[in-house]
Amino acid sequence: MLERHPNALGAIVAIGLNTFREAIRDRVLYLMLVFALIIIGISRLLSLLTVGDEEKIIKDVGLSAISLFGVMTAVFVGVSLVFKEIERRTVYTLLAQPVLRSHFLFGKFIGLFAVLLLNVVLMSAALFALLLFRGEPPWPLLPALLLIAVELAVVTAFALLFSSLTNPVLASVWTFAVYVAGHLSWSLLTLREKVPEGVARWICDGLYWVLPNLKRLDLKAQVVHGLGMPEGYVGLAAVYGLGYGAVIVALACWAFSRKEFN
Amino acid sequence: MRDKAIVMVLVLVCVVATTWSGIRLEQTGVEQQRGKSLLLLPNGKHLKAASLGQAPLLADLMYLWAIQYYSEYEREDRFRYVKHIFGDVIAELDPNYVDAYWMGALILIVEANDLEAGLELLDQGIAANPENWILPYLAGWECYHADRFDCAEAYFAQAEALPEVPVYVKRTRIGMAAAKGDLRRAYAMWLDVLQDPRADSGTIDIAERQLRHLKVKIDVQEIQGWVAKFQFENERWPGALTELIQSGYTDALPFDPFGRPYDYDPGSGVVAAPRDRILPEGS
Repeated sequence: MLERHPNALGAIVAIGLNTFREAIRDRVLYLMLVFALIIIGISRLLSLLTVGDEEKIIKDVGLSAISLFGVMTAVFVGVSLVFKEIERRTVYTLLAQPVLRSHFLFGKFIGLFAVLLLNVVLMSAALFALLLFRGEPPWPLLPALLLIAVELAVVTAFALLFSSLTNPVLASVWTFAVYVAGHLSWSLLTLREKVPEGVARWICDGLYWVLPNLKRLDLKAQVVHGLGMPEGYVGLAAVYGLGYGAVIVALACWAFSRKEFN
Repeated sequence: MRDKAIVMVLVLVCVVATTWSGIRLEQTGVEQQRGKSLLLLPNGKHLKAASLGQAPLLADLMYLWAIQYYSEYEREDRFRYVKHIFGDVIAELDPNYVDAYWMGALILIVEANDLEAGLELLDQGIAANPENWILPYLAGWECYHADRFDCAEAYFAQAEALPEVPVYVKRTRIGMAAAKGDLRRAYAMWLDVLQDPRADSGTIDIAERQLRHLKVKIDVQEIQGWVAKFQFENERWPGALTELIQSGYTDALPFDPFGRPYDYDPGSGVVAAPRDRILPEGS
């Protein structure tokens, strides 16, 4: 596609920048960000209630807040991105330009992902400041934060895919369903052992490999406890998540290119 | 105007009703039955599955709640579910949460007086965290406080074998050998510490002091044994310690770490070393 349209990159960047500007004006985003920052601040108060390692509480609450609020932002902002353009009919103006639908969607993805990255950076900065203030080095948390960002890329890709297929409410439900399934995909292996051999097991195997395994992108417990990780794990997990996200974005582009506008 | 007044009155009635019912609910005593609610606490495995990747956070919240719950001393059935909360729920959610094993074990051992249950919880933590020395170290101290020196030494030995263990763990293990009366083995272990090229000056000081202390105890114990044998066979105490050599009970008498003979009271047959003799001269 990029070969066919010499200005494709420019168009994607322009749409991405526009999406970024539009998304950072969204009140939902600020609400999420402020709430997450408050939760990170509250982790200090929670840590006062514990007996033992106070930093563990701060790190756990901080990382969970970054992850959960990141996912919520990705879902709530992501599912309405394409729908809003269609509803306001601005998409017709855009697509009347020499811009492919896939470029439009990819630009939307880049823009939203940039916003989410900015959010992760801001929330991480708050968490790092809190830890540094207590004399605790925050750097060991970086691998977990990197994989949280990768997980957000996967969730954003699904939000965009469902956003281009249906209305925001259904798209939110489906995206959350994928998020839940992604964290429970290990249970398919347990189920596989319980069902008789044959088709049922193939379905379990198929679903296990097709659904995103978001547990692979979760390093929160490892970094908080300072546990060792297999060499190259973070890189492999990042490749897995980004590769998966890219496939879903491609699927979203394909679905959007076949969409009929009334 | 009248509508506004009606709304105001209704709001006021609601506030009064809520406050009144809240106060009545406080007085019903339902809160005192909270222990029963623990029966509804889900298994850690189910909670972990439901946490969607936030299991460590859930473990923290459960731990904070458990600390508050077990801080209410008037609760009668507070020890019934300690193992379930700390061992089945929190440990399942975050198997590496060392503080939770320690706190659960402390509640069981110190408050519920159930050393075995506490040690079981610590063993569970040790199995889940095989590289962490603090849990066997804490288990060792709990055994020590219960005068179970064999068990204490075994836990300290387990801790001592782990990486990044502080030097004082070995010292504590030797202390356990001495506490259970195995003075010669404790002496040999302190000699090992003294000869270890990694020992710092503080450790060397402690080892030298302990060696002097143990030598005095071993010597006194040995001489007291000869004196007792003399008394049994001669039906009198020896007039002086040198009489033990003359009578063939020993070839030579030991001296204290500073080369001085031990004190002996021929009236009572008691061999002693004044406490100041274990300290360096001049100190």
